[in-house]
Amino acid sequence: MTDDTATATRQTDQPWTIVDSGTYSEAIQQALERVLLDRVASGEIGPTLRIWYRESPAVALGRFQAYADEVAPEYVDREGIDVVRRITGGGAMFVQPGAVVTFSLYLPAEMVSDDIRQSYADLDRWAIDALRNLGVEAAHEPLNDIAHETGKIGGSAQRRTDGAVLHHTTMSYALDIAEMLRVLRVGEEKVSDKAIASAEKRVARIADHTDASRSDVVDALIREVREQHGASERELTDAELASARNLVTEQFGTDEWNRQL
Amino acid sequence: MPPRASKKVPDGKLVRVDVEAEDRIDDVRLTGDFFVEPHAARRDIEAAIEGHAVDVDRETILAAVEDVEATLIGFSAADVADLTMEVLDD
Repeated sequence: MTDDTATATRQTDQPWTIVDSGTYSEAIQQALERVLLDRVASGEIGPTLRIWYRESPAVALGRFQAYADEVAPEYVDREGIDVVRRITGGGAMFVQPGAVVTFSLYLPAEMVSDDIRQSYADLDRWAIDALRNLGVEAAHEPLNDIAHETGKIGGSAQRRTDGAVLHHTTMSYALDIAEMLRVLRVGEEKVSDKAIASAEKRVARIADHTDASRSDVVDALIREVREQHGASERELTDAELASARNLVTEQFGTDEWNRQL
Repeated sequence: MPPRASKKVPDGKLVRVDVEAEDRIDDVRLTGDFFVEPHAARRDIEAAIEGHAVDVDRETILAAVEDVEATLIGFSAADVADLTMEVLDD
């Protein structure tokens, strides 16, 4: 067995862990994505699922989106809504504590299909299964959406590094859609195309289609991963949080990053 | 705000191209909810379009964008070339 094979085998054989605790600002949340992705890439930790808990309403901006195109600047300034650019492409998400479900998978690269379209379908599937078990008829909609017949439940975004893949997903549980439309400039540019504009605004909320509470949804997600991978739970380490806080100072809390485009 | 063009790629993502130009294309900005790997390639694509004369043809822009080493997800080099020409032709 070559050293390369040994490394690959060790990584895929590493047990899964689940992090289901810790409430943080949006900047720390986004910084943790960098920290945990890098730790999986270096083999320091194995495949990990993290469930997010947020402190306050925020916008998670896609890596390549222009700030001024996506948010209503005066409204987010007045309301004190944090706008933080992610390390992943994809679209802007408005989030409120307790009203969305966000989770991240950090996986060794060899566990994920090289075919990007396929990998979105693969890595969304278990969450869709969890929703279906709760009676929500969710389906994967290429490239990166989780959809219901009444609209879009959520979206995923991926980041690939040499050794690891980040796949994170935000789903609407009971999002305040009217507030979302005040915060995000959804479809403003496309008012001439009413069909597209209204489709973008059609958000399907999990709570409208099941009696399950938000924590029931989280439990269903965790159960899915436990049954498939026998994962154990842990908390973030002090070192991981310290790294994330440093990254907030250097990057995720700065206008240079968040308003870069 | 500089002239711009945008499109939602069928089965893909939203792409916007802003172009500042007089005799030559001085500044290009490529934004949207697309994915591209590596991330630095987004700026490389902009740079590949910058510097051309404003009467450049589509094939030249397309070739310049295709020369950038990148994996585009949710859009194509042709989408970027089309949007650039749309701004220049306005």
